[in-house]
Amino acid sequence: MSAYAALSRAVYKAAVRDATTVFFTFAFPLIFLVIFALIFRNQEVADTGRGYVDYIAPGVLSWGLANAALFGVAFTLMQWRNDDLLRIIRLSPTSIWSVIGSRYVVALGIGAAQCVLFVGVAMLPVFGMRPDPTWPLAIPIMLLAVTAFLALGLIVGSAANTPEAVAAIANCVVVPMAFLSGSFYPLELMPTWLQEVSRVLPMRYVNDGLTYAFTGFGTMTDYLISCAALVVFTAVFAVVGVRTFRWSNDS
Amino acid sequence: MSSIDSPAIVLDAVSKSYGEVRAVDEISISIGRGEFFGLLGPNGAGKTTLIEMIEGLRLPDTGTITVLGMAPTPRNLDLLPRIGVQTQRSAFFTRLTAREHLVTVAALYGLPPATAEKALDLVGLTDSGDIRVTKISGGQRQRLAIASTLVHDPEVVFLDEPTAALDPEARRDLGQMLRNLKAIGKTIVYTTHHLDEAQTLCDRVAILSAGRVLALDSPRELIARSGIGTRLVIPAGRISAEQAGTLDGVNGVAIEDGMLVLRTAHTARVLAALDGEADLDDVETRPATLEDVYLELIGAPQA
Repeated sequence: MSAYAALSRAVYKAAVRDATTVFFTFAFPLIFLVIFALIFRNQEVADTGRGYVDYIAPGVLSWGLANAALFGVAFTLMQWRNDDLLRIIRLSPTSIWSVIGSRYVVALGIGAAQCVLFVGVAMLPVFGMRPDPTWPLAIPIMLLAVTAFLALGLIVGSAANTPEAVAAIANCVVVPMAFLSGSFYPLELMPTWLQEVSRVLPMRYVNDGLTYAFTGFGTMTDYLISCAALVVFTAVFAVVGVRTFRWSNDS
Repeated sequence: MSSIDSPAIVLDAVSKSYGEVRAVDEISISIGRGEFFGLLGPNGAGKTTLIEMIEGLRLPDTGTITVLGMAPTPRNLDLLPRIGVQTQRSAFFTRLTAREHLVTVAALYGLPPATAEKALDLVGLTDSGDIRVTKISGGQRQRLAIASTLVHDPEVVFLDEPTAALDPEARRDLGQMLRNLKAIGKTIVYTTHHLDEAQTLCDRVAILSAGRVLALDSPRELIARSGIGTRLVIPAGRISAEQAGTLDGVNGVAIEDGMLVLRTAHTARVLAALDGEADLDDVETRPATLEDVYLELIGAPQA
């Protein structure tokens, strides 16, 4: 078995054996879906013939994807460094890219599973989501979203030395970002200056991209801008992530 | 230079400072292949810094380090598979079983799961292989940590306080395991605060303090050279301190916990002289130990 495959398995098992991880990754976004569905029950967005769920679901999903990718990698990195596992890896012939790559492939798998589960549930008659035929465009956005937030998670995981610190920092990053990016509340209903603020937040582009893919809201150009923006955010986060990376807590 | 006869580790005038503190100060040591080498010293003496430099985790400021004929830094992919490092904290992959953890570590070295099974067996954990790493007992944790160190069959093994926080039975088992490692030809570098253990296990020890080597030799040589000699402990009331001081061969007299303690380099002569003056029942002879040498060198009050 290659080091890459073995590390992927180790990460995967660590994730699925933790009830908290499973809950926050898969069940938590669904809870938000239920809450919003209750709030906006049977309402249609004016002149579109669409239910609110078609606009709410991509927003909640983008938050769920970002949240899981960032928390997951930040916890893993902090834990592996604290437990000296990074040192064990450092002292073996395995490259650091196998380590990051294995975490990445698990994050992508989790992201894909989140999308399938979430959209599947949202399409149940009780919620009534109806994805457009352009839905496959959600796949590149999902991949880019996981990549960008994984890179952001590397920074958080290097900054934090305890699980509490990971949770605190990650929540401070993700929760305000979710609101400001229109994941829970339509951007159009916010003051103009807040809409401008959202342009420097990666989650906005996940939200835009997924919304376009599932409902056709926006233009193809907007969609491509979202993809490009996520690539830029990934590059920036990755550079900072590599610079802040530490093999152990005492060096 | 033939690789078999060359030393496993050579340190030549190695120094490392952190700010104003000289953590390691001009240390030169050569450790032979198959040697069981102990690094002793109080916390902060520089043991960990020294070991981490040998492992290639830290760069020395000055001096050179050679491990199995190679430089450990920059990260040396030819050297890494030939050394095994046990870290102080027990490092296990999160929420895996003991067996899964070892399979993962084996894979880091490109080795199949069967090697993990062998390592489990080597440390006697085969039956506990399916227990989660968080659930196993302290002694088993330590053995699993050592199994992780040995999974790729390294030639040089670094063990950082492997017997710390173990109960006496687990310590004894681990000591036996370490002897077995030496018997199969591993070079072992280990740190410990258990000086009795170092005395019985180590071929040679280096006693470090403030980044310098205070003494370096076999425990037996160090004890003999120290001139501390043997202590004879005599129950109270057998003989007065003044009288004992006049006996042939006695170098010093002290009263500790109500017992009379005589120091001597000539145990037989003192016992013979004492035999005429007092009852020898329950008189204990305590030969000097590595701990005595250590405490004298480090400057702690003599027990």
